[in-house]
Amino acid sequence: MSENNRIGVFLCHCGGNISDYVDLDKVEEKLADNECVCSIKHHENLCSLEGRNIIKDQILRKDLDRVVISACSKITHGATFQKYIKPLNPYLFEMPNVREQCSWVTNNKEDATRKALSLVNSAIESVKYNESLKKIPTKVKNSVLVVGAGISGITAANSLAKQGMEVTLIEKRPAVGGAMIQVGKVFTPDKMSEDCAACLLNPVIHEMVHNEHITLLTNTVLEKSTRNSGNFDVILRKKPDFVDPEKCTSCGKCTQVCPSYAPDEWNEGLNDRKSIYKPFPQAVPSTYTLDSDSCIKCGACLNVCPTNAINLDAIDELIALTVGSVVIASGHQRFDTTKRPEYGHAFYEDVLSQMQLARLMGVNGPTHGHLTVPSTGKIPKRVVMIQCVGSRDQMPDGHKYCSKVCCMVALKNANLIRSHYPDTEIIICYTDIRTPGVYEKYYKYVQDNGIKLIRGRPGEIAREDGHMVVRIEDTLTRTKQEISTDLVVLSAALESSEGTMDAAKTLGVPLTEDNFVKEKHPKMQPVSTDIEGIFVCGTAQGPKDITDSIIQANTAATKISELVNGGLEVEPFIADINVKRCILCGKCIENCRYQALSLNNNSIRVGPIACTGCGDCIITCPKEAISILGQSDEKLEASIKGVLKDKSDDEQIIIAFLDDIGNVSANNMGINRVECPSSIRIINVPFVNRVKYRHIKYALTHGADGVFLGEYPDGPKHNEIRENVKVMKKHLEDDGINPERLLIHSVFIPYFRGLANQFKEFDEELKILDN
Amino acid sequence: MTEIDKFIPTKNITLFRSCLVSAEYPGVESSTKYVFDKLGVEYVIDRNQSCCTGLGHYYDIFDELSTAALAARNFHYAIKNDHKQYVPMCATCYAILKSSAKLLNEKDEVREKVNKAFRENGLEEFQYDKGDIDVKNDITHVVDVLYYLRDKIPEHKKRDISNLIIATHHGCHYCKVHYDDTLCGYRNPEIIDKICEVMDAPALKWYDHKPRHCGGGFRQRYANRELSLDATEDKFLSLHKENVDVLLVMCPNCQLQFDRYQQVLEDRTGDKHYFAILNIAQLVALYMGADPYKVLGIQTHTVNVEPLLEKLGIDYNPEEDTLHVRK
Amino acid sequence: MKRQEMVNESQDDLAHKVLKDIKAPADLGLLRCVQCGLCTSMCPASRHSEYDAREIIKRVLDNDETIIEDDIIWNCFYCYTCHSVCPVGNSVCEVNQILRQMAIDKDTGKKQIESFMSFADSYLEEGLGIIPKEHYNQLRTDYGKHWENLQENLDDVRNDLGLDSMYLLPEAKETVDKTLEAIGFKKRVKEVKDVRNRK
Repeated sequence: MSENNRIGVFLCHCGGNISDYVDLDKVEEKLADNECVCSIKHHENLCSLEGRNIIKDQILRKDLDRVVISACSKITHGATFQKYIKPLNPYLFEMPNVREQCSWVTNNKEDATRKALSLVNSAIESVKYNESLKKIPTKVKNSVLVVGAGISGITAANSLAKQGMEVTLIEKRPAVGGAMIQVGKVFTPDKMSEDCAACLLNPVIHEMVHNEHITLLTNTVLEKSTRNSGNFDVILRKKPDFVDPEKCTSCGKCTQVCPSYAPDEWNEGLNDRKSIYKPFPQAVPSTYTLDSDSCIKCGACLNVCPTNAINLDAIDELIALTVGSVVIASGHQRFDTTKRPEYGHAFYEDVLSQMQLARLMGVNGPTHGHLTVPSTGKIPKRVVMIQCVGSRDQMPDGHKYCSKVCCMVALKNANLIRSHYPDTEIIICYTDIRTPGVYEKYYKYVQDNGIKLIRGRPGEIAREDGHMVVRIEDTLTRTKQEISTDLVVLSAALESSEGTMDAAKTLGVPLTEDNFVKEKHPKMQPVSTDIEGIFVCGTAQGPKDITDSIIQANTAATKISELVNGGLEVEPFIADINVKRCILCGKCIENCRYQALSLNNNSIRVGPIACTGCGDCIITCPKEAISILGQSDEKLEASIKGVLKDKSDDEQIIIAFLDDIGNVSANNMGINRVECPSSIRIINVPFVNRVKYRHIKYALTHGADGVFLGEYPDGPKHNEIRENVKVMKKHLEDDGINPERLLIHSVFIPYFRGLANQFKEFDEELKILDN
Repeated sequence: MTEIDKFIPTKNITLFRSCLVSAEYPGVESSTKYVFDKLGVEYVIDRNQSCCTGLGHYYDIFDELSTAALAARNFHYAIKNDHKQYVPMCATCYAILKSSAKLLNEKDEVREKVNKAFRENGLEEFQYDKGDIDVKNDITHVVDVLYYLRDKIPEHKKRDISNLIIATHHGCHYCKVHYDDTLCGYRNPEIIDKICEVMDAPALKWYDHKPRHCGGGFRQRYANRELSLDATEDKFLSLHKENVDVLLVMCPNCQLQFDRYQQVLEDRTGDKHYFAILNIAQLVALYMGADPYKVLGIQTHTVNVEPLLEKLGIDYNPEEDTLHVRK
Repeated sequence: MKRQEMVNESQDDLAHKVLKDIKAPADLGLLRCVQCGLCTSMCPASRHSEYDAREIIKRVLDNDETIIEDDIIWNCFYCYTCHSVCPVGNSVCEVNQILRQMAIDKDTGKKQIESFMSFADSYLEEGLGIIPKEHYNQLRTDYGKHWENLQENLDDVRNDLGLDSMYLLPEAKETVDKTLEAIGFKKRVKEVKDVRNRK
């Protein structure tokens, strides 16, 4: 702040919107006493081109260094006046909102005039602290890490690579394709048919394999990630390459001689595979792999390998990488059905999961596509499917949510069985069949094909006389039944995979209560996470089908493209570190939920895209080394000082600090002409916790009768803010100020009438308050 | 391995007495004491303690308030004696005590009513303060303690019991009422199975109706006998199919249903297959060398346990049983 | 055809009465029931009688107060299986217990429990529960002579097992008695017996 500011004040009539209710001559008269004010001008419509000329003329003629424009809301014309004050720096002006927050909400002209003057005074005091700032141009590195190579990860990688990004795609398993490659058949609702999943997926996989901008690393997991100046320094761990992919010719001799076995993951444990093996015939990469957990290191494979591709002493590899963005596409896993032992999955071989059934029906499965009852080897006469195993179940280990796809999966598998084995009866036991949108047509089609449905949730499964028995109540007919059947198929819930939870933990991204990756806003900001630069897609975010996964993957790629290709300029209101005070304790880095801060070459760096200017770090810093550019404590105090400047003795003043949501709500009060007590003086702050105790105390000891904090309660810091207010109330008590003079209340944009009522109530309460 | 997320005591225990154990299967009490003594568990039995009301509560005779008041009275003695850790032998005692403590802790109006009744009748000392008893950690079943100390059990091995075909039956009121506090699963309860494992006597992993109840059903056994026996039959026949030698229980009410009614069930179904019914504490005591009559109290069982002893090669003197009518 | 008239939504229907009962846990999922029938399919009473656990809840939710006087609620075993598996955290078992207490407030319920009153008498006398004496005839048949021998020689048997007396200390009996008086249990017992004696 310079000693002798030369401030110009421009009062807009807004075509009578302001001047009819506020005596602007009187305002002008009062302002004339202020030394810093070097120019005062009225105009009918300052936002007009004529207005622009007046402002510009005065700036040049009177050598103004700051400007206050008393007019409408900053949301309406802030950008306009930012341009009009050229040649001044666009951040050297303030706009008291004398229309929405004064003339439109105050009935009495005298009160409105008094309030307008106070708002203009506040702006004059505040603008003195404005600094010349520049929007910050940002550049996000065009390299991306995609975690997980299922349909979501591959889709995202392809899209990113096509948009010019360098992509590293990692997959924990030895082959890509995720759940989709395993499932065998998928259905297309418009064709009413079941199509080969691998045939649909292979072109997508090949596009990925042949794109030179994508590096695929299988058997690889994300080990560590640190934020560094907006980038992510990541360390990947790749399992040992026991079989050198460059040398392996996929001849298969090693598998033939390998003496040790392990359950075959590809076939969901329905059969065993060797310890050295190819996951499945069409696996990509098409190379053999060795499972070191079951390998007994006998060396038999070494002796037969014609290309010497096998090295049993291989060690794992750590790969360091710096990327600008990360996509979490690490998918789901299926509910562990042993947690519902009454369904007997662990005890009876004729109880299968839907995925096991899919493997049995798959031509590359253990029975080459022939559906047989495991215990008898015969074609089943009846198959009973049980829905919602682990879904829609709040009991321990269950999931409260609906897994969204199981109804369609059951219908698809039922129809597949029906079309291959027309003599096999299929019964689906369900609570609700959920086939939204066009899927409903597929449901009807399956019904037409003779699939039966029983409305009820089975309690238990037993084995009697060589077949299974399902105990259930048909709730529509109130009949308790024991259904004899050859096969039982469980529709197990989709749940967050271990890989997804690990990735989220490593990257510092919060999870939902259901352990999926939490989006920034589940409705309005899908695929974004709380950490700028980290995105999520597919079932890592929640249960969904293939199509929805692809949509999300493409969305994630687009959001990254925005960052990389958009030539972003961000507002300069971000954290600023005073290097002289900073002791590099790192508390701010730990505390920042946006991971906007990082330690770099012995100084704290602020990532301009990630930083939201929330000011949370200010509170955590023990050395008061952090400020928000253009939002200093002194500036906030000056706005309070200005509000209270010309306060008369009989006047009650309430300072209302409103966050952006609250400010919009207050504007809506004006737009809808809802009356608001003239005592209310709104000061817009980016976040409520930006207001420190010193500001509240200053206000209440310098003439304000009350302080109102308006907070949008959906924010992540809500509880902390409420706690903080309790503490501040204690401080007030200690300082001999009635804590009732401080009030915090929730604000919502459509709830402007409620806000007006809150203001009124508080105004009334303060009138009768003793001290 | 189940993670134990509740406190399991080995001292400051009040062994909470059960009416059915006392009057029907007192050998369960002597066996529990025998095993606890071997394992170095410190406990007392308190003759101030009244019945938990459990059976009466589930006969619907006792209302919630009366049961809570009697629980508060019992809690008072446990706390006063510095033996606050209640360890019941009966699943219903376990559930009722937990439910009562929960009610007294969580429902202010119930606690106040109970305390007011105490105050106005010269029973101030019984007043209960919120949190006096921790529902999860201050009330555990004997099987919890045995499970917790299971690794020490083989140190006291005197007899080999590995040739038995064992089925386990877990008390519903241990497993299903406060299922968050149940160790080793409640949908497929396995806590008794885990204790058997350390004695090299694994139980059947699963059998039809394993998690089902015994069929006693409180009032049903007496007022609705046919329904009760129909329900018991399910499990009874399933156990026959599995050819079990012994059914292990953890609650005297279940023990009574399978033991006292075995003959009735055989007559009803025409299905005959001998199996003994033992409380897990009785089997552990037997494994540790306890006397079948003087500790296990097998003379109180309706179904003779002697054939089981023979299978195990354990000597016994049938003259010690003066209760069974010899044919 | 049942005609559903529009009535003012109130909180005094049967479901809310159940929820407000002191026995009902704060988080009882009664109103969340979707009638999936899982309870019925695991319920032993439903398996072996006309009782249908799901339907009990349906009738409560339909505000069908006749259920309180319906004998069917007395079929529940209180085995808590439904309670431990209900996907929405409801407990038919505990709802039944509440319904039975509502029935006991009326004469129907008192009649159902009168043959168990020897348990109450024993508790009042000794502070201990017993197998209800009203049913001894059937039990003697079912359990045989051995059981009678056990009853007669119980003290000796306990002695042989090295066990202390099963009875409460005299002063303890006194405070149990006072507690039962104070909490209103004696009054309750008398009310049930009055109904029995009226017959």
